[in-house]
Amino acid sequence: MHGWAGKILDVDLSNGRIETRPLDPQIARQFLGGRGLGARLLWDLVGPEVAPLSPENALIFTMGPITASASQTSNRFNVSSKSPLTGTILHANSGGWWGMQFKRTGHDALIVRGKADKPTWIEITAAGVVLKDASDLWGKSVFETTEALGQNRNKRNVLCIGPAGENLVKIAAIMNDKERALARGGPGAVMGSKNLKAIVVEGSERNQPADKEAFKFMQYETGKLIKASPLTSKALPDFGTAVVVNIVNEIGAFPTRNFQQSQFDGADEISGEAITEKILVKNQACWACPISCTRISKTASGKEGEGPEFETTWAFGAQCGIDDLDAITEANFLCNDMGLDTISMGNIIGCAMELAERGLLDSDLRFGQADKLQNLIRATAYRDGLGDEMAEGSYRMAEKHGAPELSMTAKKLELPAYDPRGMQGQGLVFATGNRGACHEEGNMLGPEVLALPRLIDRFATQGKAGIVSVHQNSAAVIDSLVYCKFANMAVAEEFFARTLTAVTGQPFSADDLMRVGERVWNLERLYNLREGFTKEDDTLPDRLINDPIAEGPSAGFTVKLAPMLQEYYQFRGWNEDGVPKPEKLKELELEGLEIGD
Amino acid sequence: MIDERLFEEFRTIGRDILVTGLTSSHGGNMSVRVGDKIIIKRRGAQLGQLKPTDFVETSLYGRDSGIARASTELIVHRAIYHNTSALAVIHSHPRTAIALSLSRDEIIPIDVEGSYLLRKIPVVSVEFASGSTQMADTVSAALKQYKIIMQRGHGCFSTGQTLEEAYHWISTLEEISDIILEHKLLGEPLIEYRKHSESYKKW
Repeated sequence: MHGWAGKILDVDLSNGRIETRPLDPQIARQFLGGRGLGARLLWDLVGPEVAPLSPENALIFTMGPITASASQTSNRFNVSSKSPLTGTILHANSGGWWGMQFKRTGHDALIVRGKADKPTWIEITAAGVVLKDASDLWGKSVFETTEALGQNRNKRNVLCIGPAGENLVKIAAIMNDKERALARGGPGAVMGSKNLKAIVVEGSERNQPADKEAFKFMQYETGKLIKASPLTSKALPDFGTAVVVNIVNEIGAFPTRNFQQSQFDGADEISGEAITEKILVKNQACWACPISCTRISKTASGKEGEGPEFETTWAFGAQCGIDDLDAITEANFLCNDMGLDTISMGNIIGCAMELAERGLLDSDLRFGQADKLQNLIRATAYRDGLGDEMAEGSYRMAEKHGAPELSMTAKKLELPAYDPRGMQGQGLVFATGNRGACHEEGNMLGPEVLALPRLIDRFATQGKAGIVSVHQNSAAVIDSLVYCKFANMAVAEEFFARTLTAVTGQPFSADDLMRVGERVWNLERLYNLREGFTKEDDTLPDRLINDPIAEGPSAGFTVKLAPMLQEYYQFRGWNEDGVPKPEKLKELELEGLEIGD
Repeated sequence: MIDERLFEEFRTIGRDILVTGLTSSHGGNMSVRVGDKIIIKRRGAQLGQLKPTDFVETSLYGRDSGIARASTELIVHRAIYHNTSALAVIHSHPRTAIALSLSRDEIIPIDVEGSYLLRKIPVVSVEFASGSTQMADTVSAALKQYKIIMQRGHGCFSTGQTLEEAYHWISTLEEISDIILEHKLLGEPLIEYRKHSESYKKW
């Protein structure tokens, strides 16, 4: 294969039907793969009449044309579905080995639909596709399941859910290669609703470049840039993604105690530097990645595993007022084993802590209680007591206690580790996110804080909508290729385009890629509009719009959302209600996908 | 209209372009895209002496009176915004790069920094070299593939997410051109030190 295998595997668990059908070359060219292809397939398969946890919802795993090509960071893959947490389109991607291995089975995508009548796992090998009884695996944790099914680094790779997915927890992740996560929006619950415990893959096909010389040149040039960037060659390998803890804290954009403050006095204790000094065993890389940002850590009690990443460090740290690095790390390990989204889990615990401190929740829970983390996580995974409320997500939990405004969410997805009052562009990213509040859909950390590609004024609003839109389009196409966004911190889209050209033999420019990203973004927007979302959903928690940060480098600022949003709709070619105009859809070759009046 | 923070960016970049010799006192122009509009320097304003009143806001798509005061190259700026993902555009007249453009179809850096950042700058030719539809089409098409391009005998068009980024490419282009010129003046053979540098011609 040169880029695309040209085949989609389609499994209906209700009747056991297994089919292989061709990938439409025009759709491949328009949406590439990964997130884009997932959105396009979902548009046809899952309409507004489908409940997220019903058999009619689909779980669509998609690889990209770059996946398994051995281009730097070409290990990633995507899952698309309708989210049980938000009701929006769901897309999530992950690294590791599974995506590469699935592509080597000779498929670009796997559609799973229906519901098995008993716990089931799927095995995909050269011998074929087989549905197997998972009754003896149901109830097992992620680590137990991964081991039981024979995870073997480069040869056989396991993707599965843990107890959280089985119990339809709305923040449940799908885990691959033991500790990598497809997390945001609750894909694990969708998998659990289908009685699907695991998918195991063994492949042998190769994604060979059509132009070997050009591919070799692009690998060389890409490698030079990754080495030349202090972020990808030094900061991320040395300190992991938590290298930005102190940086974000210093500028007053590190949300603390459920976004009541924007600086955490315990930041030093949970920083990337502290992780390296106190708990790091070694760093680790995903397949074909020269960056090696993954931490293998060991706590004082002898527990060892992957993590914590920046977001997780924040979620169980500053968000909960906790500076105990061991407790944060062990919370991370437990989430991985239960199959939970760490960002949402930590955000929800922080919300519960504030509800309790304000007397709105009958609990002795308080900010800073590191010893409560393990029980709260386990209770959520098994829907036990307060955990049953937490399993519904922060918004529903806070709403039940009469204070939805204390839920730090947008479109019901829990906010990640940035206080947008100190990063105006990030606020627009969260408010307009297609899957809800998430940095991965257009992270403004680069331009607003890290000077990537250039430092822009983080408090400015005029002209910010264009930069946000370009970053959202860029993230959408990177998620469709599928590359790692950390590579993009050193390598521009121009390089991805030239590598894609070398792999597929079809010409792509950087601008072609950006157009794909814009197309994907607009299709996701159309999907959400079809689901009934409106411009009223493009918003942020009241606290971020109306309560200025009290002190620190971002003191006095709120998110000036209204003017940025107006400019954003204009930039995107949408009408004042946030609906893409017909001429925009025509320009993006999305005619025929308009939503009805 | 233009807010204080954005004006400050225009003012400092305009001054820097002038003082680093990348254009003449009244030459060149700059714009940024804001929503579905362009904020562009007015025709005749000096890049080194910009004031808030030196800017024109005009529609990206339709017709409005803003065009009466806007830069001569507005049509090119509009075409670039229509056809690429650029958010800022600068046109200037870097003299060594212009000199090189008179005798070659591409400028390929021989220095490390230039090789890393740009690899190749194409030179395009148009008969009507200022403000023409032909120029707008040719320049915007070339900028789909490259961050900065030279128009033979006229100057460069550079793009970026910000004015600073676009300015960076112009400054780099002129440094690349100066080094090529000075090396040529030395008259000594080039000792190649970059692996795969022959592939830059195909970039």
